[in-house]
Amino acid sequence: MRYSILLLILFAEIGLFTVIGGQRVDSMSEIGRYLTLYFSDILAQSAPVLLLAFGMTLVLMTAGIDLSVASMVALIACVMSSFDPGIGFWWTAVPVGLVLGLLLGLTNGLLIARLDIPPIIATLGTMILYRGLCFVVMGDLEKAPFLDVPGYEWFGQFLGAVFVIAMIYLAAGSYLNGSRWLREILMIGGNRVAARYAGVPVTRRLCEVYAVAGFMAFLAALCFTARNSSVSGSSLTGLELHVIVAVVLGGTRVQGGAGTWIGSFLGVLILSVLDEGLRGASVWGEKHLPFKISHIEFLVLGVLLAAGVWMNTRFQDRNP
Amino acid sequence: MFHVHYSRFLVQRIAFLVVGNVLLLLAIFVLVQDGGSFADVILNAAPNVAPTVLAGLGLTGIICAGAIDLSVGSIIAVAGTVFGVLVHRQVPPFVCYAGCVATAWCLSVLNGYLVRGLGISAIIVTLAGLAFYRGLALILADSAITGFGGNISIQDDAYHSPGKVYAGAILILTIAAAGIWENSSKTPSKWLALGNSEEACRLAGLSSGRILQTAYGAGGVFLGLAALIYVTRIQAIEPARIALGFELQVIGAVILGGTNIFGGEGRYIGTVLGSLFLYLLSEFLVYAGVNPYFQEVVAGAIILFVIGLDCAMHRKRKMLEEVA
Repeated sequence: MRYSILLLILFAEIGLFTVIGGQRVDSMSEIGRYLTLYFSDILAQSAPVLLLAFGMTLVLMTAGIDLSVASMVALIACVMSSFDPGIGFWWTAVPVGLVLGLLLGLTNGLLIARLDIPPIIATLGTMILYRGLCFVVMGDLEKAPFLDVPGYEWFGQFLGAVFVIAMIYLAAGSYLNGSRWLREILMIGGNRVAARYAGVPVTRRLCEVYAVAGFMAFLAALCFTARNSSVSGSSLTGLELHVIVAVVLGGTRVQGGAGTWIGSFLGVLILSVLDEGLRGASVWGEKHLPFKISHIEFLVLGVLLAAGVWMNTRFQDRNP
Repeated sequence: MFHVHYSRFLVQRIAFLVVGNVLLLLAIFVLVQDGGSFADVILNAAPNVAPTVLAGLGLTGIICAGAIDLSVGSIIAVAGTVFGVLVHRQVPPFVCYAGCVATAWCLSVLNGYLVRGLGISAIIVTLAGLAFYRGLALILADSAITGFGGNISIQDDAYHSPGKVYAGAILILTIAAAGIWENSSKTPSKWLALGNSEEACRLAGLSSGRILQTAYGAGGVFLGLAALIYVTRIQAIEPARIALGFELQVIGAVILGGTNIFGGEGRYIGTVLGSLFLYLLSEFLVYAGVNPYFQEVVAGAIILFVIGLDCAMHRKRKMLEEVA
């Protein structure tokens, strides 16, 4: 039920923005070609958000939240960008980025699981901390060593992005789906005390979940830098809200204990289409609105977050 | 007058903050080595520390009642934009000030209604508010000012008096009023009761929704004053960036001041001392010659450290209470 609604919203959105954007599509075959092009572009564009949403779904399942994901991606990208380009990049910068991602995620996990800080406060703190570290590493510079690395731009193209997304969503997702590990995660979100009494190693599982979010931040940093080719200290500010709203739209409960990756996937697509559509509608906006149409995005994100959480609480979908 | 009860934890925290503040002041005094600029540090403290203290006083009540407000930075952005638009239209200063305070108060009250009405956690509602109000500020500035180029410049000195001249007076008067009100009115005790146990509150015949509403309403008054000082001490209001990340600073000051993040415990005086501590710490880092980018990291790390320590300690205390 939920998936069909999400798909309906997605296609309605695409239709709306196609009309507003002034695109002309006449025949059936042209619609097909247009949609294929559109989706391949959207997929490559939104690969970082899709990857982060996978980790965020897990985090929300445990009744946590991770506001620091965007800062993590930026910090990993900043640290990676300070290595020399060339073939050596693959065995210096990339492993360093991977370890850094795991460490940053683990820091979040330890703050939340060991010190018992409410997740939103802990990750709000690390969000600002990691962002500060970005500026410590980069200063005011903008670096772009990524395209000089042989084979690196593959991650930014359609094929590479789809490969990484498929590895995560299809391979890892189907491997984890219904596994004991995932059930333990869901149980922690549903009732942490009961999970502890049932013998679930709660602290360890929470650390693992946040480390997975850190690993996803590393993969997202790969895709992001390969597509955008440059990074600065203020890259990706505000992306965390996109990720959270997308996951909430997909039916994951912020109170924990329920959620699916397919829903998150569709949620990300809806937001990406919105993003792209608002960019395309700027000409229409200048004619009809007294303000820049891209400013609406913040409003929409806020409303979608509140409405999504409210709906998820009210209409609990047992089997979507 | 009610008997003022400070738990042992709060007394310890306040003593620690007083000692810490004095030590930091001494350290700054030694580093500056010049009576004139040290006096500047003291005199400049009021406009710099006032927004954090005032917003912190409001948030103390809200956190004591078991809720939170993550949207304070964005609310200041909207209030600042309203102020800027009014100044741009050349409205007399007092109307501009009133507009700024009223906007912040209304949005805070709206937060209270939404938290009550939607029945979802205050964290999520105000996280949504964080995005929504920021967008509102941008749209407002863009549609009310023709040729809006990203920031609203306010050069006329007539519009700067609350931030630059009266900040100290407003700050001291508000702290005094808050202190008297805290010790003489029943309302703050009700917030503490709600934060301690909503169930017990309901069984005692108190309406939890209404108590929460008063917490957000009182918070809005303080937030309005904070916004007023925040926007009148700067020359240009940039809706997209003004007060970005302000919420962590305020929450950090409140938690540092001994308010329990889970609600049910806290005092205004702790928040005042906590904000002062953070301000003196940042000044100390400036005079110690630390890289400005690194200062933010140090401040963030200290806030996180204190919050972590508090949470671990509250957990231990809770366990002891359960045993006892």
